[in-house]
Amino acid sequence: MVLFYFLLKGDYPWPASLTWSALPSEIDKAQDWLLEQRTAENPNIFFAILDGFRAFADWLVTALLNFFEWLTWVGTVAAGTLFVWRFGGWRAGLIVLAAFVSFALMGLWEESIQTLALMTAAVLLSLAIGVPIGIYAGRNDRFLRGITPGLDAMQIVPAFAYLMPIVILFSVGPAAAVICTLIYAIPPAVRITALGVRNVTAESVEASQAFGATPVQTLFKVQLPLARRQMLLAVNQTIMFALSLVVIAGLIGGRGLGDVVTNGLYSNAALALLAGIAIVIMAIALDRATQAIAERTDPARRQLTDEGRKRARKVTLATFAGIAAVVLIARALGADAIYPDEFETSTSVYEANIQDTILGWIQSGLDYVQDPDSLIFQITEPLGNFILKNFLEPLRVVLVESPWFVTLGGLTLIAFVLSGMRPAVTALLMLATIGVIGMWDPGMDTASQVLVATAMAVLIGIAIGVWAAESPRVEKLLRPLLDTLQTLPQLVYVIPFIYLMPVSRVPGVIASVLYAIPVIIRLVTAGIRSVPPAAVEAAQAFGASRMQVLAKVKIPLARESIMLGVNQGIIMVLAVVVIGGLVGSGALGDLVARGLQRNEFGLGVVASLAILALGIALDRVTQGRRVTRDDVPDRGPMFGLLKRRRQVQPGGGAV
Amino acid sequence: MKTHRHMWAVVMALMLALSVAACGEEKDEPSGGGDGGASAGKDCGKVVLNEQAWAGSTANTYIAKAVLEDELGCEVEVTKIAEIPVFQAMADGKVDAVLEDWQHTDEYAKYIDKAGTVVQGGPLGVEGHIGWFIPKYLMDANPEFETWEGLKGKEDMFKTPESGDQGMFLGGDPSYVQKDKELIKALGLNFKHVTAGAEPAQVARWTQLYKQEEPVLFYWYTPQYLNQQYDLAEVKLPPREEGSDCKDDAKEGGDPEQYKCEYDITVINKLFSKKFADSGSPAYDMLKKMKLTNEDQELVAKAIAGDKQDPEEAGADWVADNEDTVAEWLP
Repeated sequence: MVLFYFLLKGDYPWPASLTWSALPSEIDKAQDWLLEQRTAENPNIFFAILDGFRAFADWLVTALLNFFEWLTWVGTVAAGTLFVWRFGGWRAGLIVLAAFVSFALMGLWEESIQTLALMTAAVLLSLAIGVPIGIYAGRNDRFLRGITPGLDAMQIVPAFAYLMPIVILFSVGPAAAVICTLIYAIPPAVRITALGVRNVTAESVEASQAFGATPVQTLFKVQLPLARRQMLLAVNQTIMFALSLVVIAGLIGGRGLGDVVTNGLYSNAALALLAGIAIVIMAIALDRATQAIAERTDPARRQLTDEGRKRARKVTLATFAGIAAVVLIARALGADAIYPDEFETSTSVYEANIQDTILGWIQSGLDYVQDPDSLIFQITEPLGNFILKNFLEPLRVVLVESPWFVTLGGLTLIAFVLSGMRPAVTALLMLATIGVIGMWDPGMDTASQVLVATAMAVLIGIAIGVWAAESPRVEKLLRPLLDTLQTLPQLVYVIPFIYLMPVSRVPGVIASVLYAIPVIIRLVTAGIRSVPPAAVEAAQAFGASRMQVLAKVKIPLARESIMLGVNQGIIMVLAVVVIGGLVGSGALGDLVARGLQRNEFGLGVVASLAILALGIALDRVTQGRRVTRDDVPDRGPMFGLLKRRRQVQPGGGAV
Repeated sequence: MKTHRHMWAVVMALMLALSVAACGEEKDEPSGGGDGGASAGKDCGKVVLNEQAWAGSTANTYIAKAVLEDELGCEVEVTKIAEIPVFQAMADGKVDAVLEDWQHTDEYAKYIDKAGTVVQGGPLGVEGHIGWFIPKYLMDANPEFETWEGLKGKEDMFKTPESGDQGMFLGGDPSYVQKDKELIKALGLNFKHVTAGAEPAQVARWTQLYKQEEPVLFYWYTPQYLNQQYDLAEVKLPPREEGSDCKDDAKEGGDPEQYKCEYDITVINKLFSKKFADSGSPAYDMLKKMKLTNEDQELVAKAIAGDKQDPEEAGADWVADNEDTVAEWLP
């Protein structure tokens, strides 16, 4: 490949004869048609149905918001805390309480409650749609196989691409934001539910059939109860995925924290960062609360006696009575619907939050980062240039300027060697698609960035992952950090790097590395932890040192997990491509962003398709030979991850 | 069944919560609306303004908000919807007005001319000007940069690690109107067009170089509050001939020659939802008459984005300082 590169450099760009150049304008026409239909005098029945759904989603979000306001802010805190305390234990209750307090102190109460209402509505609808589909898919392999590519597409195609059609169909406001979120949050709900139902052992199902149970009875009395843990995991993951769309929802009238992030970026970066932190706090609180509830209410663990059950019921009643009492008292005393900006006593007025103080801290941090004379800048600027000169640019040049058939053949060959025949064919088809839709150059540019980012993420991720597996203390310390990296909007943590590494493409790469390492670390840690103790003991008996055990036994045996980490890392990196476009990475991300912002809609869609094709191609190149014949659905990106998550706790460290 | 009791408790609680929410809504809505109506002026009611993502738009939106609330007793809601989707929002009557639109001609054709769901509100008075800018210190040291011809042969000065052996031209936010790649080609300059990404990222890049007193050439525009904070100078591009069909909004792959002139002045428009324009609201009359100068807008934008003043306060302060101007807008 290298030889070809030097011989034929730049001579064979993707041929125009193999390009469908009219595609973007065709897609533009489709959008115009949609707009015309939407504004026509007599909208057809299809739009009436959509309007109905829109009205319902709008109503749901507004109702939830009104409910929180009706509770008053005191009541909302009490209801959330006591509810979680009752079903999830005091620790989870305290976390929820701390989250509410921090929203209030940050002066972002109203925005947080708006986001909470939006997310609650989106999660409820995602589950209402996703769980039944998941149950059906869990009982029907063919159906699952059929919908898997669709689910992959829903997760990989950047939301920017379908924002405008959604706005045309559902207008702006809560409904549009909810629907946008649904597209991203339904796939995990479907997948985890399906996995849960599938994993119920055949023996249990056969036993129930032997006792003459009907299929419906088998489902409700055997399969669903046994899949309970998995279903609660589905709830947890749906929440996490939904939260990652908060910022995008802000662009189409979703209000709340997402709004503060996007607009803050232009006029007040410190405020944008603060709102990002609020999103992280909300994500962590919801994650811990749902996890705790899932564990505490697990009947298999509780083993309640009749007596205990009666008591539990009384405690529950007492909790709800307590909540009701707090709400009524708060309302009677005239507590505000939303947390006030200041408290008034008869003599003086107090600021009710410390937003200005916190913003001052963040701003001084930003000022330091923005100062080109600072020590850190002296280190990061050359580092950024180094990454650009030695990795990004050479790889881009090789991928873009090699003759197209060499790049295509080379990547296919790598897929064949690493993963086998079928993945190689898929990779070939996907890469060819990128060329045909006219996205070869930007596609390969993006590919070079994705590969560099993945390589960096894998190196760092494996090193830290191994360390965390060896030391539970490190793992414990890492957990909040990893949670933050996964839930902080990428648009937020890319900010410091724009200043610290002022070279286009590099901040985007760093942002994707940061987004991808948590998954890799978790998979590597879980993989090494699951190495059978017998193997380790045997090596130790032969006098192997700790490093030897690690290098010769643990890491080789955890190879599959590590490979999965690489594979998942790529998918996570791809999720940041569009954000990269907003901070100078150019290529596909830039085109997608432009598609929405300058209304080159067709171009944006085509670039998004290229991202999808690239994602599938790179997934196949790196998936390794882990696919076994009877493991059919274990193909799509994310699926393997979710499967692993039975060992890796949702949003957290290994069990 | 027994094992499910707690799940049922959760479900019941949720149902209860939702039904209470529904009741709460029914109870709250009319009274809330009633209160608003009572305290509001004759028939202004509620007005929804959309604030675009940049500081200038925040400035004019909050000036309008202050006038509408304090002078006309309207209830004003500010939304923050992205530039293109907001057209659909106006068409659906969810947003009443956008005060700063930078000539989205494709959307004008669709929503104003064809569907008629959005109407022109006339110019805001602020005039947009796009061009190539450099720091003032650089212009002082190199007076020949006054025009683009002065850049010829001096591209080396602008070299950075990512532009290789060419000079770096720092391109504008990809969502803005631009033709710099094509201009560079048409003018035969040895610059590499580098995309910094969205505006905050581009600002980060050139302010960094500005602070280091390094040479930098970039896409920039007025009115912009940063112009009050940084001393910038403009490089003149070839003049626009009278009656020529020189274009500004470059599309991928066009002939560079058709873009070989300076950017035209952009008339910034106010846009209204058709429903709002037909409502007879005094707010519409006021917004229609509202006019600002570039200086007004930059001043307020700097107070908000530069000095971190609360937008509500900054808007109200400007209104208090400019009573005569505001009086002309009132119906």
